[in-house]
Amino acid sequence: MTQGSRLYFAVTVLMCAFVSINGVGLNDLLERASQLSDKLHSLSTSLTNDLDSHFPPVGRVMMPRPSMCHTSSLQIPNDKDQALKIPEDELLSLARSLLLAWSDPLALLSSEASSLAHPERNTIDSKTKELQDNINSLGAGLEHVFQKMGSSSDNLSSLPFYTSSLGQDKTSRLVNFHFLLSCFRRDSHKIDSFLKVLRCRAAKKRPEMC
Amino acid sequence: MRNSGAVLILTFIAILTLQAAGVSPPGKPRLTSCRSPEKETFTCWWEPGGDGGLPTTYALYYHLENSETVYECPDYRTAGENSCFFNKNDTSLWVNYNITVVASNALGKNISDPVEVDVVYIVQPNTPEHVTAVVVHDEQGPFVRVSWEKPRTADTRSGWITLLYQLRVKQEKDKEWEEYNAGMQKYYNVFSLHPDKEYMVQVRCKPDHGFWSEWTQTTYVKMPDYITRERSLWIMITIFFVFIVVILTWTLNVKRNSVKLCLLPAVPGPKIKGFDKQLLKSGKSEEVFNTLVIQGFPPTTDYDNLLVEYLEVYDNEEQELVQDGKDLSEDCMKSKSPSDIDSGRGSCDSHTLLLEKCMDGREGSGSNQHQYSQHGETRWASTESSESQDPEPGSPESANGRGKTWPVVFPSPQPQPHHHYPVGAAKPAYHSVPEILNHLSPHAMSSNYHQLNHQDILQQERRFSKPACRHSQSYNQFNLDGIDTPAPGVAPSPSLEYVEVQRVNPENMLLLRPLSDPNREPEGSDCTREDYSKVKEVTSNNILLLQRDMSHQCVDDYSQADQCTTQQPPHPCKPAVHQSNSGMPQEAIRVMGNGYVDSTVLMPSY
Repeated sequence: MTQGSRLYFAVTVLMCAFVSINGVGLNDLLERASQLSDKLHSLSTSLTNDLDSHFPPVGRVMMPRPSMCHTSSLQIPNDKDQALKIPEDELLSLARSLLLAWSDPLALLSSEASSLAHPERNTIDSKTKELQDNINSLGAGLEHVFQKMGSSSDNLSSLPFYTSSLGQDKTSRLVNFHFLLSCFRRDSHKIDSFLKVLRCRAAKKRPEMC
Repeated sequence: MRNSGAVLILTFIAILTLQAAGVSPPGKPRLTSCRSPEKETFTCWWEPGGDGGLPTTYALYYHLENSETVYECPDYRTAGENSCFFNKNDTSLWVNYNITVVASNALGKNISDPVEVDVVYIVQPNTPEHVTAVVVHDEQGPFVRVSWEKPRTADTRSGWITLLYQLRVKQEKDKEWEEYNAGMQKYYNVFSLHPDKEYMVQVRCKPDHGFWSEWTQTTYVKMPDYITRERSLWIMITIFFVFIVVILTWTLNVKRNSVKLCLLPAVPGPKIKGFDKQLLKSGKSEEVFNTLVIQGFPPTTDYDNLLVEYLEVYDNEEQELVQDGKDLSEDCMKSKSPSDIDSGRGSCDSHTLLLEKCMDGREGSGSNQHQYSQHGETRWASTESSESQDPEPGSPESANGRGKTWPVVFPSPQPQPHHHYPVGAAKPAYHSVPEILNHLSPHAMSSNYHQLNHQDILQQERRFSKPACRHSQSYNQFNLDGIDTPAPGVAPSPSLEYVEVQRVNPENMLLLRPLSDPNREPEGSDCTREDYSKVKEVTSNNILLLQRDMSHQCVDDYSQADQCTTQQPPHPCKPAVHQSNSGMPQEAIRVMGNGYVDSTVLMPSY
């Protein structure tokens, strides 16, 4: 009996240590993830600015409504109160779903960037590529976070992207590129916000950072 | 149709009338900006376009991107004039608001351009609060710690909004602010502020993606008066070094003499026996030189006799007239002479020579001696008389008469007359130098030589090459230092005899041995012509460079200023005649027949 209790005690201690270590790990992981998402959003903002510098006025008229973004079907909190009520794993799955939804469209953007009818084409092209890399890293990081969190169900929403080309003529291509980019910019802001909420929730030990 | 037309016309007239009266529909309003301080509410402001002279009302309408329902602004007051405040309930994030403002008055209304706004992109927080700046005293020196608090409305605790802070500092008089980024922390330490100065501090913040807030009110902080550790350290170092420098200077000053000795070692001065440096310093060179002068030398009498003697001696015009010095060089190595540049003829004036012998020989009896002495005198006389004359090519006699030759020391008892003369006879004997050893003694001429020698002492060194065949050509330097004062009591030798130089020992002394010495080695035939030394060159300090002359075909050339450039012995060349450049009387070397040089030396007259 004594030996059994001792064994049990040792295992408990180890598990506690493991969990505590994990907790610290989660904090750092989330910190890193929020840094990446911050960078992601900054990139998309600067891309949008580059695009806006030489955008034909007619494009604004032609621009599809943001509600036509392929991710608009995802149910997300619209204000702070709603957002703070959502449990962490749900927040995380929201972030991951959004992220996942953009891997294909970004590939399309990347392929179309080089042939855009825009004077800043080269800058846009390089930044788009950088976006792709960033998304991949963030996706991998969020996977780790998910595993660290240890939630049982993985309820990722599927947000398919069916568009295979941006358009036939150069103006419509430019306009669609701009539209797609604006959708992405917003979604990246969502991801960033959710992750930062998650970060502060996990950082119980460092209240000064939040 | 008519009615509508009439209505139109009436309206037109009415408008014109109204405009004439100064009233019109309102101008187009314009939305200037919309801002959200905490990502929960937002406010939009517009500016009116002109009221048209009538009271105008403004209304803001909006609709969300995914619906057509138009709403009007819920709150026109909270944010002030011409503003619309959207509270929490009316604020949705990640949704575009389409906002327009309508201005309306009695005459009509005007609609502004629509503006698309997404609340998350227009976040601008309020300023930070409770900024404090405190001086903290540290061992490194005092610094200022600035701390603040987040704006009240921003909810950073939940992570909903993330704020980054920035502060700036300057003195009252500065133009530029010094900015510092504090990141997400709410304090900052400012270093490197100047002591005893007052500083202004301001703080602002910004969300991670948004606009900077306004700067806070200025907070003042005064630095205490202190000396920086760095400066005090420099002061100490400076004082220390100054101290060291002062000490060093004083020490150097005290030990000035020994330092001077150390840095500038004394140059060994010339040491001339009988030469009194003090006397020289004190002044008159006359006195100095007078001590070196041997009285009665050079003989100043009987020049005619000398001349005559001279003429008598040379009976063969074709004889190589020896460079007078040449003979002498072998007879008596002469170290230096002020004025006699006989071309190497040894004389009793050589300091290495046994001067006693010279003197004795001189004093000795013997017709030959007398002859030679006279001859020497003659020569002296001749040289003196011809001091300033250039030697001219001509009969050997005249040349000889003019030339200066050294009287030869003749240790051998009966040389033939022409042998005794330092003439380049057809069969030149060996130029002999009286042995330094005692049994061969110089003759009566020695006294002259003695005197000459004294004069030599005054002069610079000379170099001689030793033409003796037995010995290698070498330059012997006859140092002033090595001069031996001729002993006054040299025993005169009874006879004259040729001597030859056997060797030169390391102290530059010629070891002589008489020609009649049975131990003497036979000389090669090729030496016969090598007894006479040819002056090849006179160097700048009056040293004759003698050359071994192997050729029979030296050009008889008389030149004043040619110079042999090579110094290799078997080399036919034109003997050089140098102008002495020491201010001494000119010397001229004349080349006789088969290349021997007759050097004529002008003796200074005393």
